Amino acid sequence: MSSPRLEAYLARLYTDAAALAAFLEAPAASARAAGLDAVEAEALAAADHTGLVMAAASFHAKRARGRRRRRFSFLSDA
Amino acid sequence: MAVAAAAERRDRFGLGWRPELAAGILANLDRIDLVEIIAEDHFHASRRGLRALQTLAAQVPVVLHGTSLGLASTVMVEARRLDRMARLVAATGGAGWSEHLAFVRGGGVEIGHLAAPPRSAASVEGACRNLDRARQVVGTAPQVENVATLVMPPASRLGEAEWTGQIVAAAGVELLLDLHNLYANAVNFGDDPMALLRRFPLARVGAVHLSGGRWIEGPSGARRLLDDHLHDPPSVVFDLLRELGRLAPQPLAVIIERDGRYPPIARLLEQLDLARAALAAGRQDRG
Repeated sequence: MSSPRLEAYLARLYTDAAALAAFLEAPAASARAAGLDAVEAEALAAADHTGLVMAAASFHAKRARGRRRRRFSFLSDA
Repeated sequence: MAVAAAAERRDRFGLGWRPELAAGILANLDRIDLVEIIAEDHFHASRRGLRALQTLAAQVPVVLHGTSLGLASTVMVEARRLDRMARLVAATGGAGWSEHLAFVRGGGVEIGHLAAPPRSAASVEGACRNLDRARQVVGTAPQVENVATLVMPPASRLGEAEWTGQIVAAAGVELLLDLHNLYANAVNFGDDPMALLRRFPLARVGAVHLSGGRWIEGPSGARRLLDDHLHDPPSVVFDLLRELGRLAPQPLAVIIERDGRYPPIARLLEQLDLARAALAAGRQDRG
């Protein structure tokens, strides 16, 4: 399964620490409250929560690194 | 055109173009067959910026590498993003391009990096729809790259190799096989790297990425391998390249990616030599 709604919720979990904490506290209920259907919510509840936490931390670090880094190149004047 | 076609019938070895490596690359073009340019660095280039890109493309074959389209999504990729890629492809005289099998945003939220989508029939269908649209707008389809992930993609119904195989077959595209991403996913989720390699659609591989990473610790002491492009490719990546050379007879473009902690260019050239040797050994193993 996959859907725009599921991708949107995953994007939230990867970027919003409060949303991730709420999900880890009550996975299925949080997913249902976010609008996922029962099948999607159960699938998320059974997901790899350790990996979710590690992925969210990694994405956070990469966003921070991206903001710090100012790319420069004689090929680009963007 | 004939020269370019001939060049693509042999294995080629190159580096990811980064400003920090530019001088070293330009000074060693006799040992570098192609360079891979991050497309997003040039999406807003002025005409002067595009001319600089054309100047580089006149010196060494270039390929474009996208990181922000989010093609493996059930949401249709926006035309404006594809238009930018089309402009770059046209400016470089029809350079090949690639993008990841990832989603990067959802519900208006930018993740800021490549996320592995749920591996399912729906995401296969979404990726194929987006690849078809990309082909229409850009004029050519991208090679698609497997991504590393620290999380087993939630709500998945398919294994990574099977999911990837379904997309490349249905969309009729080539695979850019990142061997460190493959290695990281294998060790993070209890698979054997060589066995995982053999399950991928190797006949469709057109290009290869090599990079490195580091082990990181998560909750409860869990350890996973992060593909960070800040470290040298480990020896197992060259072992995987050798096996790929044995199993996939078609010409391959092999690119080493490095995004920081840059070593001297001599060390990157040594790694290219290791890649040449590994692929050649695999070709020999095939007999």
